[in-house]
Amino acid sequence: MNPHVLAIIPAYNEQDSIVSTMDSLKRHAPWVDCLIVDDGSTDATVAICQEHGFNYVSHATNLGLAGAFQTGMKYAHRKGYDYAIQFDADGQHDAQSIQAMLDAAVSNNANIVIGSRFVTVEKPKSARMAGSALLQAIIRLTTGQKVVDPTSGMRMYDAEMIEFFANAFDFGPEPDTIALLMRRGAKLVEVQVTMHERTAGKSYLTMSKSIMYMLSKSFSILFAQWFRGNK
Amino acid sequence: MNLTLTIVLVIGALIVFLGIVWKIRKAELSIASSVFWFLFTISLLLLAFFPQIAYFFSHLFNIESPSNFVFLYVIAVLLVRSFMDTIQITKLHEKHNDIVQEQALASVCPPDPSSDGDGGDAK
Repeated sequence: MNPHVLAIIPAYNEQDSIVSTMDSLKRHAPWVDCLIVDDGSTDATVAICQEHGFNYVSHATNLGLAGAFQTGMKYAHRKGYDYAIQFDADGQHDAQSIQAMLDAAVSNNANIVIGSRFVTVEKPKSARMAGSALLQAIIRLTTGQKVVDPTSGMRMYDAEMIEFFANAFDFGPEPDTIALLMRRGAKLVEVQVTMHERTAGKSYLTMSKSIMYMLSKSFSILFAQWFRGNK
Repeated sequence: MNLTLTIVLVIGALIVFLGIVWKIRKAELSIASSVFWFLFTISLLLLAFFPQIAYFFSHLFNIESPSNFVFLYVIAVLLVRSFMDTIQITKLHEKHNDIVQEQALASVCPPDPSSDGDGGDAK
């Protein structure tokens, strides 16, 4: 029996890339169900979804990535999916990698699989990757485990994690929450994937916000997350 | 505590009072949330008309001058208020999230009414 996999595709103003992303998913991973979560887009994203008959749901206002991701997790939970993968609408993620991630999840009995850029490829020593290296070190420090690509947005979750994220308060798909889940015993594996440059549209995270992002995530992992209850 | 600070306190209290009344009349402030501000206004007037209060506490806490106690009091009250507002915003944010998500999912997969914790949970 093949596990049922849902690709959650958060989309905020992705009219220029959503079609090619969906085409790529249908071509390279036809066994994966797709759900586009339109996060209150103001462009033609919804019209394109309707026109092409894509499976989508639409937010009335813009909630941000974490909110869109959770909508997808609620959907996955209620529809009883075995695995859900967060898949970018902008063409960065490679649909061909999903199979390898699923295989890794099943064979390792993993809760979380990160589609990682740096398992077999060395992390470039650029300013952009300094933040990634910092988060890697902090996760190593607090969980004792090695996560070489903590900021990768391509992550697969099993049914246990789906249920958790569907009901959780303030749990975005971010390095700090991943680190917390690892501390609580979630099993994580990384699989080498290829990632592309964005084909169109604008990222949720602009470069100017990157430094603040890294600082707040570092602080979150090192300090704030320790006080959480079970919700 | 000097006369100037007393006058400033009274004028400040008056401005806050007029602000509250104005916003209640315009239906921009609920009666429930106006209570805090009315009490705050009254406390400013008490400090202005009964400087003994400030003298007493500044002596108690070993604060150099009573006016410093007045400043400390105002800052502390506003910090607590600000913290409570942050909590309130977080709650509203969570409810807003939930409403938008459930509205999006309503036609596809509404929450199972028998399960708890899923959907419409306002905590």
